[in-house]
Amino acid sequence: MAQRLDRINRLLDGITRNRREITTPEGVVLEVDIANHGERLVAFLIDFLFWMLATALLFLILGLTVIHGVSGSVTITIVLFLSFLLRNLYFIHFELQSQGATPGKRIVNLKVIDRSGGPLLPGAIIARNLTREVEIFLPLGLFFAVPKFGAGAEFWTAASYFGWAVALSALPFFNRDHLRAGDLIAGTMVISVPRRALLADLADSESRYVFTHKQLDAYGAFELQVLEELLRRPPSPDTWTMQQQVCDKICRKIGWADPVPPAEALSFLRAFYTAERAHLEREQEFGRYRADKNAAAGS
Amino acid sequence: MPATSPAPAATVTLRSAEFRRSREVAWRTLDNLVSRVERKGLSRLSAEELRELPLLYRTAASSLSVARSIALDRNLILYLEGLVLRAFFVVYGPRTGIMEALAGFLKRGFPAAVRKAGWHILLATLAIAAGVIIGFMLVLPNENWFSVLVPETMAGGRGPASTAEQLRRTEIFAPWPGFVESFVVFASFLFRNNATVGIMTFGLGFFGGVPTLLLLGYQGVMLGAFFALHHNRGLLYDFIGWVSIHGVTEIGALILCGAGGLVIAEKVLFPGRYGRLDSLALAGKAAAGLAGGAVLMLFVAGIIEGGLRQLIASTPWRLAIGAATGLLWMAYFHSCGRREGHGPAA
Repeated sequence: MAQRLDRINRLLDGITRNRREITTPEGVVLEVDIANHGERLVAFLIDFLFWMLATALLFLILGLTVIHGVSGSVTITIVLFLSFLLRNLYFIHFELQSQGATPGKRIVNLKVIDRSGGPLLPGAIIARNLTREVEIFLPLGLFFAVPKFGAGAEFWTAASYFGWAVALSALPFFNRDHLRAGDLIAGTMVISVPRRALLADLADSESRYVFTHKQLDAYGAFELQVLEELLRRPPSPDTWTMQQQVCDKICRKIGWADPVPPAEALSFLRAFYTAERAHLEREQEFGRYRADKNAAAGS
Repeated sequence: MPATSPAPAATVTLRSAEFRRSREVAWRTLDNLVSRVERKGLSRLSAEELRELPLLYRTAASSLSVARSIALDRNLILYLEGLVLRAFFVVYGPRTGIMEALAGFLKRGFPAAVRKAGWHILLATLAIAAGVIIGFMLVLPNENWFSVLVPETMAGGRGPASTAEQLRRTEIFAPWPGFVESFVVFASFLFRNNATVGIMTFGLGFFGGVPTLLLLGYQGVMLGAFFALHHNRGLLYDFIGWVSIHGVTEIGALILCGAGGLVIAEKVLFPGRYGRLDSLALAGKAAAGLAGGAVLMLFVAGIIEGGLRQLIASTPWRLAIGAATGLLWMAYFHSCGRREGHGPAA
């Protein structure tokens, strides 16, 4: 299954997604797309922005009410402590509350899931988010806390903190599931869940064209689904030209005798799609799945 | 149908289209419910809808299996895959709020993780103890070692030049600096400082555990150096009192962070019968639990150290409180969460 759909995705989008299979407790195998580095970065930056805004807002309120008149060092301490608390609660709260998705992840359509397909437990969420402290915030905080980057010991301290942050942030690039250290520890991974709509069925119930078995044997499931994508394209001059070309190609391939006028191309294609799908599905029911035009029927 | 077009020549029956017609209503209902949960959370569903959700999910899952075997409609299969996946997250997603999760962690997860990490804790303790002995032995005969072993920020002006009187007045029995200064500034500074060391100790477990042991040992060395310095001034008893009131909690937390790091290290080095990643995932939650719980302990230690220690200016009392905190932690780790809960372990 994975290869079948993958091939069409490659053809249509020009991208190969990193796919994994997880098995639900019901025994249904689901394919999931591993999230890209870019998507994860964008989601993180959005969350980071929200966290900054929330922190800023909190301090605005504190500044207007409580802190007034307290010394600078006290303020800084309160700021550091509350922002530490706020960001951990932010990530843990949203991943617990909305099924493994922080607001940033929800915008980018990402989700945290258990790697083995089991339920996502609170322990895993807490673990993966606490590890974020070690991975990113702690070394970066230390890096910025080092007073000057002159020379000697301080330079090397700063460099080692920075190196640590870089090494751990680079971890997702070095494993095939793009896991960061927190995912390793918690047994989770981040996947992309694009939302899809259920579109109208393309199959017509009645057809003006009749095709023979031999003609329908010309193609397999791959071609059928590419044709489906073509028929689902929004109408435009471009689509129209493509439909004419495909129509001509199919007529040549199956030896269709009557010429199909350009105005009829779309209805011919739909009729062919319906007939071809009916044919292939019937064959599939008898265990003769045909992957594409090059595959022998019955394999 | 326009009059010009010829009459239909054939009627096509598609099993996949029939199948879709008969199930589509259920899918759309499920899609609707899942979308609402995704936007607003589970609590917004009515009791009736909550009861329906898992049933609809299982219907959709079986629809997917059927569709995969009989249908070649790509959009249909992709839609069902997405729908079942989304419904799966809702049905098997976390059901606890953050407060509940934290309470579960304190009641069960943390003590259970501590009990399970027996030899890791022992090893971490030995590393610190070895450090204390080394630091003590080095500084006792030659106090110049003190400034080598203890960095400026940690020493805070204390060193070979300090006299007994100075140590007694500005350190051990320093006056109470006031509420804000001690609880807000000092406690928070100590907490952040200790949490940094603790989390580092834990994180370094990724590198096979040796850096974890070295870091733990080094913390011990510094402590040993302080012991030796005070011993030479005849203040060892008072200093132990000064340290113990918060130190029992603080060093205990450090040991637990180290033990967490060692659990990680063990799974990285000796994955056992599972793959390295699987075995890390299996033990990782407990290890992170150790570190997370230890950070909470450090928070307690910071409050004791920042405030309580300065308020109680009597060595026997400090020792008693230190011992009491030790006993309380022991009792907590030993007895909490023994009973197996039915809910997910936090």
